[in-house]
Amino acid sequence: MLSFQSSKNVLSLTEDLLVRIYELLAAESDRKSFRLVCREFRRIDTLTRRHLRVIRIEFLPILLRKYPRLQSLDLSACPHIDDGVVSLLLTRVGPGSNSPILGHWAWGLKSLVLSRATGLRFSGLEMLARACPCLESVDVSYCCGFGDREAAALSSAVGLRELNMDKCLQLTDVGLAKIAVGCSKLEKLSLKWCMEMTDLGIDLLCKKCVDLKYLDVSYLKVTNESLHSIASLLKLEVLGLMACPLIDDVGLQFIERGCPSLKVIDVSRCEGVSSSGLIFVVRGHRNLLELNAGYCLSELSTALLHQMKNLNHLEVIRIDGARISETSFQVISANCKSLVEIGLSKCLGVTNMGIMRLVSACINLRVLNLTCCHSITDAAISAIAYSCRSLVCLKVESCNMITEKGLCQLGSFCLLLEEIDLTDCCGVNDKGLEYLSRCSELSCLKLGLCTNISNKGLSYIGFNCLKIHELDLYRCTGIGDDGLEALSNGCKKLRKLNLSYCNEVSDRGLGYIGRLEELSDLEMRALHKITGVGLEAVAVGCKRLADLDMKHCEKVGDSGFWALAYYSKNLRQINLSYCGISDMALCMVMGNLSRLQEAKLVHLSNCTVEGVELALRACCVRIKKVKLFAPLRFMLSSEILEILHARGCIIRWD
Amino acid sequence: MDLKERVCDELQKEVPKGASSTNFNTQHQQKWEDPSSTLDYSTRIEPPFQAFNQTCQTQSLLLCNNQIKVPMQDGSINDLLQQASKIQDWDPSAMLNNLSFLEQKIHQLQDLVYLIIAQKGQVLGRPDELLVQQQQLVTADLTSIIIQLISTAGSLLSSVKQTLSAATTSLGQCGEFGGVVFPSSAQRLNDGVQPQNAGGSKVSEPPNSIDITSNNGNEQNNHIVEEHELKDEEDAEEGENLLPGTYEILQLEKEEILAPHTHFCTICGKGFKRDANLRMHMRGHGDEYKTPGALAKPTKESSSEPTIIKRYSCPYAGCKRNKDHKKFQPLKTILCVKNHYKRTHCDKSYICSRCNTKKFSVIADLKTHEKHCGKDKWLCSCGTTFSRKDKLFGHITLFQGHTPAIPSDEIKVAPAGTSDGATNKVGSVNFNLSSYVSSESEVQSSSMDIKGGIDDAVGYFSPLSFDTCNFGGFHEFPRPPFDDSESSFAFLLSRSCNYSQKSGE
Repeated sequence: MLSFQSSKNVLSLTEDLLVRIYELLAAESDRKSFRLVCREFRRIDTLTRRHLRVIRIEFLPILLRKYPRLQSLDLSACPHIDDGVVSLLLTRVGPGSNSPILGHWAWGLKSLVLSRATGLRFSGLEMLARACPCLESVDVSYCCGFGDREAAALSSAVGLRELNMDKCLQLTDVGLAKIAVGCSKLEKLSLKWCMEMTDLGIDLLCKKCVDLKYLDVSYLKVTNESLHSIASLLKLEVLGLMACPLIDDVGLQFIERGCPSLKVIDVSRCEGVSSSGLIFVVRGHRNLLELNAGYCLSELSTALLHQMKNLNHLEVIRIDGARISETSFQVISANCKSLVEIGLSKCLGVTNMGIMRLVSACINLRVLNLTCCHSITDAAISAIAYSCRSLVCLKVESCNMITEKGLCQLGSFCLLLEEIDLTDCCGVNDKGLEYLSRCSELSCLKLGLCTNISNKGLSYIGFNCLKIHELDLYRCTGIGDDGLEALSNGCKKLRKLNLSYCNEVSDRGLGYIGRLEELSDLEMRALHKITGVGLEAVAVGCKRLADLDMKHCEKVGDSGFWALAYYSKNLRQINLSYCGISDMALCMVMGNLSRLQEAKLVHLSNCTVEGVELALRACCVRIKKVKLFAPLRFMLSSEILEILHARGCIIRWD
Repeated sequence: MDLKERVCDELQKEVPKGASSTNFNTQHQQKWEDPSSTLDYSTRIEPPFQAFNQTCQTQSLLLCNNQIKVPMQDGSINDLLQQASKIQDWDPSAMLNNLSFLEQKIHQLQDLVYLIIAQKGQVLGRPDELLVQQQQLVTADLTSIIIQLISTAGSLLSSVKQTLSAATTSLGQCGEFGGVVFPSSAQRLNDGVQPQNAGGSKVSEPPNSIDITSNNGNEQNNHIVEEHELKDEEDAEEGENLLPGTYEILQLEKEEILAPHTHFCTICGKGFKRDANLRMHMRGHGDEYKTPGALAKPTKESSSEPTIIKRYSCPYAGCKRNKDHKKFQPLKTILCVKNHYKRTHCDKSYICSRCNTKKFSVIADLKTHEKHCGKDKWLCSCGTTFSRKDKLFGHITLFQGHTPAIPSDEIKVAPAGTSDGATNKVGSVNFNLSSYVSSESEVQSSSMDIKGGIDDAVGYFSPLSFDTCNFGGFHEFPRPPFDDSESSFAFLLSRSCNYSQKSGE
């Protein structure tokens, strides 16, 4: 009503302007604030929203009714979805639905993420594939039950362009053939860990889906025959061959002559591939953008280096684990000037001089992985910082010689830095963190095992790095409640936090943690000072908490677990090993947390066998993975074990 | 000394006396009637006959090679028949007629063999053609004897079976012995006629009574030959590169090709598939057909002259095998013509009784298929089956839109055991909250049945859990039907909810 009185009111904006504003909001939390403003704004939200990631499946019918223009639906967070649910969703949406057309929401859907939806079988998939005529992208990764029948059902989605079938363990060549014949427009396909796949399936795929641009056959037991088939794909740009044990240099010779559009190749961890195989690849593809050869080379040979001189467009190279000489760096920097990322993790022979030579010409480097290159010092870091001003990610885990001087250079020049891994760098201290905190874009900071930092250092981060969303403080014994206070004041976006073995942290510290509303992942092993009060604060405050690891938090009493059972409705994984939880509390946690998928429950000293049995009964319909104390195998009733097994739950005995 | 060797010795002794057939007839008639010798025959020489059938089917040896042994088997079969006839009801006069006819034939054959043996000594440098001729003659004779014998036996089918099985058990003990002995005697008989005898090693194989009881030996033999030649046709055509004009092209008419018989008796009009059978038949029409000249294979007589190679053309216009076709490929034999014509231009009238899908126009093809039918597990959506996965994938690569079919028995029941039930039940449910919950509970209870947890289901239906879960003061956490916490453990949940409600306050 105000809008009529005051023309300056935001509500006077027209609908299309509001839509434009809405579309500029990138973060989900901002959009949430937007739709909470008023009804009109919410209406804009419902009309404009294209993507939906559902956390709680019970809201799905309402949400689908509310958002009629969805193009992308992500159900990966609700793996309980099964054929019955799909059938319901497609017949009527929501109670007392007004929409006369059944399954209306599915009409415009282009992308569907069904990752880990192990309950979904071929009948449900077939219904979905038929109901979504525009479907272009489907993700069924980690659906362990996804087999040939499911693939056949999915193959009726003829418009499919992208398909992710990682770890569909039941899938065989027959299923792939179904997909290949049915979805001939396929451009992107990932088959990682589909262990039943053989050369026959790959060969057929390459003959039927000639438009393939992206193909990932990592971890498969395919041979050079497959590479022969793959070489015929004219449009292929990305080829993933990671850890294919049966592929060798002969197969890469086929790639040399084929795949004219190849831009990216990953042969990392291929036991049979040597530098001569890579020479074939490099010789045949001068326009290669990305070469991933981690852990398959013992040495960056001069012959390969000689060929690499021609790769003028190369942007990414990873040669983890290889021996590399200083002159090699010289050659790389002289020829591969457009290099953006270099991975030298665990490489032997990486020296300050080598790094200096590298960065002297490769000034566009944005990602640099120097994990376990023990001999580099502040000099190298300074050179990097000075040359590569657009550095985004730096990994220097276990480079002990880095001190505050290096971090000072980083804080001065690399202001775009978003991710830095300083795990196990003993040279990092509070002063160093102060310099580093000048990188205000920092979003991921790993300080595990940096025992020289204290609350003071953390407070600099808390004051300046407001965008941080992942922080690892594993075994930072100098960190206490005050540091967490500073953190909770500034880093409101924190999503992932590791406080394990930070012995000083008490209930007060967890109280500050409870202020982090975005926190979804909290690891706090062996915090001996915390009690139920602290856990309750976390449970009440961190509404998005999905993964909680509180192994060895022995002092936490039942009141904390009750709170957890009541408030942490989004919890998906929990580790309660070595906790003093009682039977009753365990039953409540397991029974009441309706999103719980994985639980580790070993050495629960205050629990009886009956208590564990009851707790398992309480959650058996939804739990997917549980770790139990080994002797319980013979104490629990066979009935509950059978139920869990029948439900597809994996039990690990410890 | 073994009986057979003794017989052979006798035969060799008798040879110098001369080749008069009448003399021999009387002498040997006496010998056949000797009861002790018949008994020996029946036990000893039975296995070679079995072996003959088996080797014929499996190895597809030339018929003559094996059939040369047959005269010795005839006696055994006859005796068997005689034994059998004692047990069963039969027409003695008809049987006697048959047997005497057989006897005559055997003696004729014996005469012929004597003749061959006698000639062997005298005409060492003779061309092989005569030997071949004689061999063929013997073959033809033997064929007719077998047919006659088997048709005679056919009337006594059941009794023959019994006696045979009795005979085989006794044979089993001395089978190996008989097998070792037999080749030596056969070798002597055939000496000069045949350099080797492949059947000898097969003798000790266990006898198969079915082969003998089959009363249509003629047809069976034909199949063996057809199958054999069928493979020949395929093999030969690939490699053959005859220049056009270097061979004579014959073209049979459709009626001729499809006719069941190709050789007809000029006297009575009876049809035969083979000329040899016709010649055997002709001998019944008078003595003039019994001369070696009349019994010899007529085509081979002219083989001494240089003959033009004959090739055949398919009468079907437009066919690649038709002589008017641009890339004409001739067919090698009449049998090739027949099989080709039936396969390519005729209806497939033979349907496999096992799979009821595969059809054939040549019965031999059906039999070949039936051997493997059911073993093909790789199935295409078009219905074609393959014994190997790579063959199926090759087929799919070739044909647009074909996909591998997934056999329906491979459907795995979802581990939860509810998904299918849920699909069925849920389909008609209104999305009214309460009614849905009940339907969901139905589904759940069905799954509970599997688990056998009855009390849980009771708790599930209790109104208490219903209220607390859905309406009991939890407006900030509405629990729509999808909430999976409304599972079989709702009773527990309701309690815990109540509890936490208190603790929250």
